[in-house]
Amino acid sequence: MRLEKCWFCSSTIYPGHGIQFVRNDAKIFRFCRSKCHKNFKMKRNPRKVKWTKAYRRLHGKDMTQDSTFEFERKRNRPQRYDRINTEKVLQAIPKISKVKATREKDHITKRLSAGRVNRRAEDRRELEQSISLVKAPSVLKEDATLTLPKQKVTVSYAQTENTPMEE
Amino acid sequence: MAARFLSKSSSGSSLLGALGTSLVGVGSVARQTTSKLTYSDIFFQQQRTFVQMGTKLKVVDNSGAKRVMCIQALKSKKGAKLGDIIIGSVKEAQPRGKVKKGDVVYGVVVRAAMQRGRCDGSHVRFDDNAVVLVNKQGEPIGTRVFGPVPHELRKKKHVKILALAEHIA
Repeated sequence: MRLEKCWFCSSTIYPGHGIQFVRNDAKIFRFCRSKCHKNFKMKRNPRKVKWTKAYRRLHGKDMTQDSTFEFERKRNRPQRYDRINTEKVLQAIPKISKVKATREKDHITKRLSAGRVNRRAEDRRELEQSISLVKAPSVLKEDATLTLPKQKVTVSYAQTENTPMEE
Repeated sequence: MAARFLSKSSSGSSLLGALGTSLVGVGSVARQTTSKLTYSDIFFQQQRTFVQMGTKLKVVDNSGAKRVMCIQALKSKKGAKLGDIIIGSVKEAQPRGKVKKGDVVYGVVVRAAMQRGRCDGSHVRFDDNAVVLVNKQGEPIGTRVFGPVPHELRKKKHVKILALAEHIA
């Protein structure tokens, strides 16, 4: 049993899924589902289709270079069965996939953090401009909780009750 | 109405075969109708069916024939799939070959556009319909086979064809 990669979207193809297309020049194309297969028949280039891994890697949206990818390289050399080795590998696989997942997530967060300032400025602008959609301006003047600039609200309570702290 | 009937029947039913021949000008390809048929839908959503009477197949060995028309699919009422044997009539042949035009020959389907399920659950499909001519005993007439062949042939005991093949898919 071998877990293949979809030619179009690069997701893993588990046994029992997908279609294998053999072209007359003996090149085999594996597809994970009919969506990818149909896109292939439409002669779409996966590097130009936004939701594929090929596009994301090409445009720097996802991580490309990492040492965790080395573990997944296809090795055509058969290895002699070694029980200890197999056990170690089976233990290592979830660890490696976890590390890979965290690294990929960090890559995306790092990529998106560059625009955080812009997003906050945009949110601030939206709040200032479109606040009337949430509450009418006349109501806002009385209740200042929705506007951004801090307004000093006078609270009248007896000052003597709080002085014991200063002693 | 004929189109809706087509969409109800599953691929490869004998009714479909009859309807397929009656659809003139469409080319013997059954169409799967969708709710909104656009030009691209018609072009790219071809419903691949069995190799049946009238199917023209490419001959991919050096027996001399170029194209063969299936006149009977052995062992199935619906039609031949990948790895099955058919009886065909040679429609086009090379001038000096072991078979001539008009001969009735047996052939093994080595490539089929219709997908065939494998025992691990996957499906395979090829680009075209191709056949290798054999004699009644199942031995290939030619000495070379071109293009990829599936390893379904091993189960069907066409070992000689596999031995001659350049690539096993």
